[in-house]
Amino acid sequence: MKKILLMGNPNVGKSVFFNRLTGANVIESNYPGTTVDYTKGYMKGNSEDFEIIDVPGTFSLEPKDKAEEVAVKMLEEKKDALVICVIDASKIERGLYLALEIIERGYPVVLALNMWDVAEDKNIQIDIEKLKSILNIPVVPTIAISGKGFKEVVLSIKKAASVGVKEIMEKVGEIK
Amino acid sequence: MNEKIGRIYFGVLGIITLIFGITDLIVTIGGNDFSWGILEISSDMFRGGWGGLIVISAGLFYLSSLKNFLEIHQFSKALMASILIWILAGTDIFVRITESIPGGEDGPWFNSLEGFLSTYAPPYPPVIFLLPFSLVILFSLSKRKKA
Amino acid sequence: MTLTADERWDLIEKISNKVVTFSKFKHTLKDALGELTVKPLTGIPIAIAVLYGFWSVFSSFAGTLCTDGFFVKLFDGHFLPWIQSVFPGKGGWFYYIFVGDPAADNCFEAFGVLTSGLFVAIGVVLPAIFIFYLMMALLEDVGYMPRLAVLIDTIFHKIGLHGYAIVPSILALGCNVPAVTATRILETKKQRFIMMTLLAIFIPCGAQLGIMQEVIPESIGIVLLYLIFGYFLFGFILNKITPGKSPEILIDVPPYQKPLWNNISRKLRMRLGGFFKIAVPFVLFGCAIVNILYLSGTIDWLARVLTPLLTGWFGVPGETVGPLIAAFLRKDLAVAQLSAIEMSKYQMITSVVLVSIYFPCVATFVMLLKEGWKNLLGSLAVLVTVIFLYGGLINVIWKLLGVQ
Repeated sequence: MKKILLMGNPNVGKSVFFNRLTGANVIESNYPGTTVDYTKGYMKGNSEDFEIIDVPGTFSLEPKDKAEEVAVKMLEEKKDALVICVIDASKIERGLYLALEIIERGYPVVLALNMWDVAEDKNIQIDIEKLKSILNIPVVPTIAISGKGFKEVVLSIKKAASVGVKEIMEKVGEIK
Repeated sequence: MNEKIGRIYFGVLGIITLIFGITDLIVTIGGNDFSWGILEISSDMFRGGWGGLIVISAGLFYLSSLKNFLEIHQFSKALMASILIWILAGTDIFVRITESIPGGEDGPWFNSLEGFLSTYAPPYPPVIFLLPFSLVILFSLSKRKKA
Repeated sequence: MTLTADERWDLIEKISNKVVTFSKFKHTLKDALGELTVKPLTGIPIAIAVLYGFWSVFSSFAGTLCTDGFFVKLFDGHFLPWIQSVFPGKGGWFYYIFVGDPAADNCFEAFGVLTSGLFVAIGVVLPAIFIFYLMMALLEDVGYMPRLAVLIDTIFHKIGLHGYAIVPSILALGCNVPAVTATRILETKKQRFIMMTLLAIFIPCGAQLGIMQEVIPESIGIVLLYLIFGYFLFGFILNKITPGKSPEILIDVPPYQKPLWNNISRKLRMRLGGFFKIAVPFVLFGCAIVNILYLSGTIDWLARVLTPLLTGWFGVPGETVGPLIAAFLRKDLAVAQLSAIEMSKYQMITSVVLVSIYFPCVATFVMLLKEGWKNLLGSLAVLVTVIFLYGGLINVIWKLLGVQ
């Protein structure tokens, strides 16, 4: 069964994501660091089933606390996994840091810009199409608590492929 | 609600709230329940003491919101003052609800209708009197939203 | 190809310049309310009001409505006489273990597995943790909890923990077991050790709070105050003597949001499910063990041996040995059993404090063990010291006040 790792910064709604995707019971709490162990669940895709693993939130792949250590270890153990990287759309730079680190390690990534509503509240506008073409990976705006964008995330899974960071750097220069 | 009316209204409400809160504390320190007509102030450490402190804070929040009342940070103070009163009044009503349902130690399982209703009869603590007046903030809130 | 951190930030800046546009940031009402709850001057009164509401709803729902309103009547008036009359073998040891004292007229004093045990688990603790978890879930989902963490951050720094530490501490008020796991969000070994030790010793769980507000409603304030003071005092001391670092960290505060009923009910279901699976069997099992120890004379013997220590140093009657043994298994059961022992109000306070700071319940103990036996040994050493010094101190205070 294909494995999917759900990764992201702490407190961006990964657990809600996980519950939505798998119908499982992970306790979602509105404070950081609720997921300190990992949780596994299963999801039915269109043509195949996936095993989804909810990885503890981490800011980077250079671990600072025990929850982050767990995250890095899990990524290293699952070499053939696909990663859904959930980031906070209103703090996109910080999320991209983690996303890039994962991309650099050669994992295929689907990027979910979660808390899209919060970003809108804060008057932050993100050009999804441009971001997609720069990174060359699927990018989906989502609102986890209301379920917006989930279908698209699931549909994008098969479009995800590993990309080189060099291509990204070139692309950034080209695009206006 | 225009700014002037809002300021006068919440100014007066703030002063009354503050007086109620101080009275709460004085009664608690005095150690005897105080009642006057349908108003009753508890000398209980929890309701009178901590409750009194919270009522005072609510009064101060109202008063500090007056300057430049419609500005969002100022307005949020008045809203927060009302929320504090709702917490106090809400829990007080909740206490009455929990007391009104069971039939008492030697009575039947459930309370009689008469006993049920009499739990809600006066006297009431100060926050219950403040409650309806604090709700006016919802009216200003809806006005704000439209504007 | 991988990048260095600087190169990566550089790339991110380029990307965000291309795709992100920030319009003028306008504070919404949510932001303004959020600010009020975080600034100390306004945040502290708000925190007091929230805790006031929490406690008021907790005690009136669990105590007034459920336990006193219905369960006492159900258990003492109907269930107890019934089981006392239908249970076979009156006077035998089997009867004693399961029903307890055949002459008892209330479930607190009967001591049997099916009488006291069921009453404590279902009649007192279940409503308490139900309402506790419900309100916790609400406060979490609305987004108040992280703000409370920010507010308390400053105080916590003094004891070598950052504001995140409020998360395990508050979780521990529900149950210590998930709280121990939650200490993993702390960064250094030192912080984790301090936090685990403090919460295992000083934080009473929801079950214990529920039973305390039932049996000692008038002194619960003093008990809690004493425990909170101990939490900070020993936190401060541990911070000074434990080697290691306690670095600063930034806390991320999510925006206020409407709570989702689905999410709350799911949380509540899971936590209550855990209660039925773990807590209820332990309460019943604990009752049985204590009764067996009574029957075999072990408790009388222990009471005799330990009386000089218990009465001499802590000022409590020797009979408290029974509840102290029960406290190994469940603290709520222990407090319930204390209420059946005859003693003064102040002795009662001392013994409830002792039950609280004394050994963590078995479920917490297992969790601590999972986090490493070295930590556990350290925690136990602190615990023994705390029991003797801090537990003895309260007796000294009573003596000085001349009430005992």
